[in-house]
This record gives sequence, C-alpha cells and structure tokens, in this order.
Amino acid sequence: MLDNLNARDGSGDAGRERPRRASEIAQPLSDREVPLAGTATTSEMINRWLDGEAPEPAALSADSTRQIDLWRRIEEESERRRHLVTPAHVKAQIMAALPTDVPAMALPWWKKSIHVSPVVALAAAAGLVALGAAIGNSMRIR
Amino acid sequence: MKTTVPASPTDQLEVDQDIISRVLAGNRDAFSVLINRYSDPLYRHALGMTGSPDVAEDILQMSFIKAYQHLAEVRGRFDAWVFRIVANGCKDWLKNIRRTHLSYDEDDQPSGYSTPDEELDRTELRSDLDKALMTLAPSLREAFVMKHVEGRSYEEMADLLGTTVGALKMRVHRAREALQALLEEKYA
Repeated sequence: MLDNLNARDGSGDAGRERPRRASEIAQPLSDREVPLAGTATTSEMINRWLDGEAPEPAALSADSTRQIDLWRRIEEESERRRHLVTPAHVKAQIMAALPTDVPAMALPWWKKSIHVSPVVALAAAAGLVALGAAIGNSMRIR
Repeated sequence: MKTTVPASPTDQLEVDQDIISRVLAGNRDAFSVLINRYSDPLYRHALGMTGSPDVAEDILQMSFIKAYQHLAEVRGRFDAWVFRIVANGCKDWLKNIRRTHLSYDEDDQPSGYSTPDEELDRTELRSDLDKALMTLAPSLREAFVMKHVEGRSYEEMADLLGTTVGALKMRVHRAREALQALLEEKYA
C-alpha cells in the first residue's frame, strides 16, 4: 500500500504526528473557538437570568450589554402585559351569551337514549335478516 | 359576585367542583364565579397568541360558552380544562388566518396596549414585539407567552400543555433567540 504523500492531516504517515501550521502555533489558546469548561455564553447567561436561575449577568462586552438591555426592555413590557385584565364588558357579554338551558349531565354511552329513524331501523332489520340467511345457508352446506 | 380566593390547589379544586355542581343543578349565575376567577390569565393567553384584543375577546367568549355546554364533562381541574379550550381556540384561529394568507401587517387591528401618556419608544417596542411574536411558530409563541407574559413556571406549563419541562425550556430558548435576532438590529 502506498502512502498518501499529499495528505495534510497526517493520515499518510501512520504513527507520525502531523506538523503544526505556523498560524496554529502563533494563535493563543484563549482565541480559539473552543468553549472552555465552566464558562457560559452570553445567550446561556441571559436564558438562565430570564428563567430566574441566575442573577442578571454582568456585561462582558458591548454586544452583551446591548442584548441584556434589550431583554430588560422586553421584560418590562412583559411585566406590564402580565397585569392586563379582561375588559369588564367581556365578562358580562359571556354571561349574556350563555345558553339558557342547564348544561346536560354527561351519561355513559350505554345510558344514552338512541334515536333511530324508520329508514335506518328498516335497513338494520334487512341487514340482520340477510346475515341470518347467510349463516343458515353456510350451516346447511356443511 | 364576590370571588373567594382558595388557599391551596386542593381547596381550589373542591371550590370549583362545588361551583360546577351548582351550575349543573340549574344555578346558571354561579358560572360567573368561574369566569371571574379564570378569565384574566386566559385573556392574556389569547391576547398574546393572537395579538388582537378583539380576537382575544371572541376566543374567550366562545371558550367559556363551550365550557358551559360541556361542564358535566369536567374531570379534574377546571382551570386546566378551560385553558386547553382557549389554547385550542387560539391555534384554530392561527390556522385559519394562515389559510387566508392574512399577515399581521395586513390585519389592521389596534394593538390595545398603547396608552396616551407612555413614551413613543415603548409604544414602538410593543408594536415591534407583537410583530416579532407573530412571526414565531405557534408552539414557540405559546411557550414564550406562557413564560413571559403569563409568568408561569415551567412545571405549570408542562402540566397544562402535557409535555416535559425540558421540551418547554427548549421552546422558550428558541423563541428568545428568534425574537432577539428580529429585534436586536433596531433595539440592541
């Protein structure tokens, strides 16, 4: 098997460590986009704050300051909406629109009355007669 | 009619069942106690979901009439049962409005939130928040409204919607992300 001489990931050179690029060596660990254990993103911190699981996060950057300020304003508006009440006329309207009949008591299906029209009753009787004849015929054949 | 505030959920359940029994026995006026007790959070839910006070009032009225007609079918908590009627009413309305291609901008309903003495930017945020909410998927909007506008706990939401706390947290977080993306250009 031939070695892949063009491989840039070191797969062609089994057992040998891929040489690091200059940019990787120069880049400090803190600048890489790898979340560090124990740190939360601004979005996570805001979610925890809004869920009441953490205090209001301290702004770490201009971006996070603006995001926190936006959510503070949305929360103010939500708080105001939380105190909205049903307009008084609506309750009166609902009472006026209720049917005058007392709500029907719920009965189990076997206790409910069944309304059958004459046509449906005739069709059901014909069906039963046909079913009986079919069973009778099958028994005679045996 | 004066509304008594029950001390615990068990008391509340008993009081509600007592009222329901009175209504079923023919005391129609007793139903107003249930309306007085539960209409406010239900109205806020309908308003948050539809963005229109007129539609919210209609949904609330239809839901209470439906609740009255089927009152004998209540098993367990009345508030959870009537909440489901309102929530379904909101979802049906949203389905219909999508079917008729009526967008929020075309629906020239008054926001119902503005008061003359409030600052212009607040009124603008209200309007923009309403518009942004209307762009969310109904399930995300429902979760956001229940958490932020109705101030419910995740446990209460899970109980009412028949889902898990984890799923609801995910919905609320996604709704926040979407709202932030829509509003931060202008406000952040």
